[in-house]
Amino acid sequence: MKDKDRHPYIGTLHEQLAAGRIDRREFLRTATLLGLSATAAYGAVGKVYGGSAAAQTAASAATKPKGGTLRIGMACQDLSTPHTYSWVESSNSARAVLDYLTVTGPDNVTRPSLVERWEPSADLKTWTLYLRRDVKWRKGRPFTADDVVWNLKHVLDPKVGSSTVGLMKGFMLDEFETDEVDPKTNNKKKSVRLWDANAIEKVDDHTVRLNGKSPQLAIPEQLYHYPLLILDPEEGGKFGVGSNGTGPFELVESTVGRKQVFKARPGYWGEGPYVDQLEYIDLGSDPAASMSAIASGQVDLLYGTDIRIAEAMEKLPNLAMHKVDTSYTATARMQPQKPFDDKRVRKALQYATDVNVVLKAAHRGLGMPGEHHHVAPIHPEYAKLPPVERDVAKAKALLAEAGYPNGIEVEFTCKTTPAWEPAAAQIMAEQWKEAGIRAKLTILPDTQYWEVWTKVPFGFTTWAHRPLGVLNYALAYRTGVPWNESKFSNAEFDRLLTEAEGTLDVDKRRLIMAKLEQIMLDEAPIVLPLYRAMFTFSNKKVVGFRMHPTAYINANEIAVAS
Amino acid sequence: MLRYTARQLAYMALTLIGVSFAVFVLNEYAPGDVARKLLGAYATQEQVEHLTRELGLDRPVLVRYLEYAGRLLSGDLGQSLTFKVPVAEILWDRLSNTFLLAAVAFAVIVPVAILFGVLAGVREGSLGDHLILIGANFISSLPEFATGVFLASIFAVWLGWLPGTSPMTTGGGWSVAAQLVLPVLVIALYDVGYLIAMVRVSMASVMRQPFVRTAVLKGMSRPKVILRHALRNALIAPFTAILLQVNYLVAGVVVVETVFAYPGFGRMMLQAAMAKDIAVVEAGTLVAVLIAMTTQLLGDLAYRLLDPRIRLGR
Repeated sequence: MKDKDRHPYIGTLHEQLAAGRIDRREFLRTATLLGLSATAAYGAVGKVYGGSAAAQTAASAATKPKGGTLRIGMACQDLSTPHTYSWVESSNSARAVLDYLTVTGPDNVTRPSLVERWEPSADLKTWTLYLRRDVKWRKGRPFTADDVVWNLKHVLDPKVGSSTVGLMKGFMLDEFETDEVDPKTNNKKKSVRLWDANAIEKVDDHTVRLNGKSPQLAIPEQLYHYPLLILDPEEGGKFGVGSNGTGPFELVESTVGRKQVFKARPGYWGEGPYVDQLEYIDLGSDPAASMSAIASGQVDLLYGTDIRIAEAMEKLPNLAMHKVDTSYTATARMQPQKPFDDKRVRKALQYATDVNVVLKAAHRGLGMPGEHHHVAPIHPEYAKLPPVERDVAKAKALLAEAGYPNGIEVEFTCKTTPAWEPAAAQIMAEQWKEAGIRAKLTILPDTQYWEVWTKVPFGFTTWAHRPLGVLNYALAYRTGVPWNESKFSNAEFDRLLTEAEGTLDVDKRRLIMAKLEQIMLDEAPIVLPLYRAMFTFSNKKVVGFRMHPTAYINANEIAVAS
Repeated sequence: MLRYTARQLAYMALTLIGVSFAVFVLNEYAPGDVARKLLGAYATQEQVEHLTRELGLDRPVLVRYLEYAGRLLSGDLGQSLTFKVPVAEILWDRLSNTFLLAAVAFAVIVPVAILFGVLAGVREGSLGDHLILIGANFISSLPEFATGVFLASIFAVWLGWLPGTSPMTTGGGWSVAAQLVLPVLVIALYDVGYLIAMVRVSMASVMRQPFVRTAVLKGMSRPKVILRHALRNALIAPFTAILLQVNYLVAGVVVVETVFAYPGFGRMMLQAAMAKDIAVVEAGTLVAVLIAMTTQLLGDLAYRLLDPRIRLGR
């Protein structure tokens, strides 16, 4: 890329990195996000820090053992329509055969994949994607811009039903009324379509341009949304045994609920694959079965490990633990109705909670103590505020001030899995009792909880890992958005959030985030006990596996020592 | 006897119809939305509504039941929502795995139960009898999930002699036979204690009968008395109990199948029920009920053959 083509902000990033105002990871993240190729970005980091990260990766690739079979314990789901996947597990299976346009790594840095580099316009509304020219489909045909255009149009077609529609709606789609009438509401049904006929534009055989209707910083990250696998258009959105792909393996056997088998393909354009064969084996839902299977060498790696068996697994000598800090959490969120309509009551719950104890007791200390503002230390724009220490006397005083000198009775709803959630809910309820907050715990089966999660006055809801703090705020706390389960509404918050979303400079964004976080602490819509470390175990002979914050498995990077 | 059998078969057909309707309605009112269960926590509301419409789940329950029953009568068991294959295919696959497990377990349980039951029963009140009885009570009071995890920790994790799970695939360096050992052991331990007690009681009561005393008094050797005269009579009563174990072995080993990740009928039913996969739940329930009623009928008929004094209802 010539200097004049560079996004103007990249120069600023260089200066910030050199001055030590941003760290290596944030530089890589934003620089690659703005279209600097990964090699160039790593080179720049090398200049500042000495050594080359890219060279290190290349060296480890040369020493990885080759051959053998890699067996992974994971649910074997239906794989037939990748663009509508709603589980990470099915995407992991298909990821062995199909590629994405971009890849977000375990370090939350998004790098090129089928897209060799990208170039946003200065206003972040137009994104030009330059495709790799050396990619061939397994069946021989070269990979071109037509493939990408078809896939993007297919995944954004409302008839297909992909969750990508919701994700990219603000950037690519317009809502419109159809002629069909919904019998329940008597209103015309709404649907979406591309906002402009030219929204997805083929520039030439290896260049695609996205012409968006609004600025969007996170396009490269959205292109790695897990259903957005690049399929062979000739297969019409379907996937199965023998399907074509640009990825490192071919699917040769697939039985839902039992087993999937993949064979390495020759001539893969990217790293690996190192193993000859990859197998996913369905071990069911009992954590004891997962432990027995990996202990007796029936699988080499587990997709995830239940917190209840982590301690036993740590004691097994042939296993290695893999973990990564994330922004995975659950929030005890309160809707503004009695007694939570008074922010002093909500604040009292924060003061009554000892986050360090919850982290230790409910998640075995694996992770970081929570801060009640839903921006995690792994987020680049995280601003550190003084932690809210437990203070029972203060909690009681706040309750009395709010007109509840004898404490309050509330119903606290949580779900069954993952196991740490009901455990944490129980521990918090015990802690609150000392401050006079008597919470009656209702534990619902997961599917039942997901039917009422935005409706219960006081509930404990899972929030998945997201690489940016503004993403959580936009999804859960902006006035009136569908996932705003705490019914939080604050005009100043909304204004600052929009400002933060449009601020590329992380230093400046962090200053805004500090204000946003402070509003969250003052208004106290949530109690957030902990940020989870995601972890799993592998046999020690597994080489090159890195735990991903969203549990994505890139089997092409993994080797097995004999 | 023919009329008895015919009438029983008619009852069976009626029961199956009743059960199929009850399961359909119960499933309908069980909490949770089918599309939401299939799609999981991260699916958007639009995806859930999309799938609900696609599956036709927005139509009344009676309409769907009649459609289902109509297809069932033409021999079509339908399509599984969770496993994405025809129900007949998955049902037969899992059922054959469970039959294999049941057959091996049965072949272990029955001889062991008869051996120890007879040994204990012939000398009622002896030290051997007490030891066997205590042992039998002890093992049958251990829950399967506890023995399963316990045995797996010893033989798979600690000693490394056996595989810890039984996905019944040959990968991972363990033969299918080795994968059967632990599940069979757990089932046998759980089940055999009860049968030992049944055989023992029956044996003991036969040993008190006048004809046994007569045989002994006329100078017949003890082994001969037991094998020729006592054993056949002693096995009549436990025979039904033994046959009823088939029910447990086929439809009741869900815990063992889950602990050992065994791809059997019980685990399939659990998974289908959790996902409200009605076609699989229906077909599985009908099969389970059919097996239960068939063993019952066989038990009744065999009873009559074994003991001519028993008259079946006219």
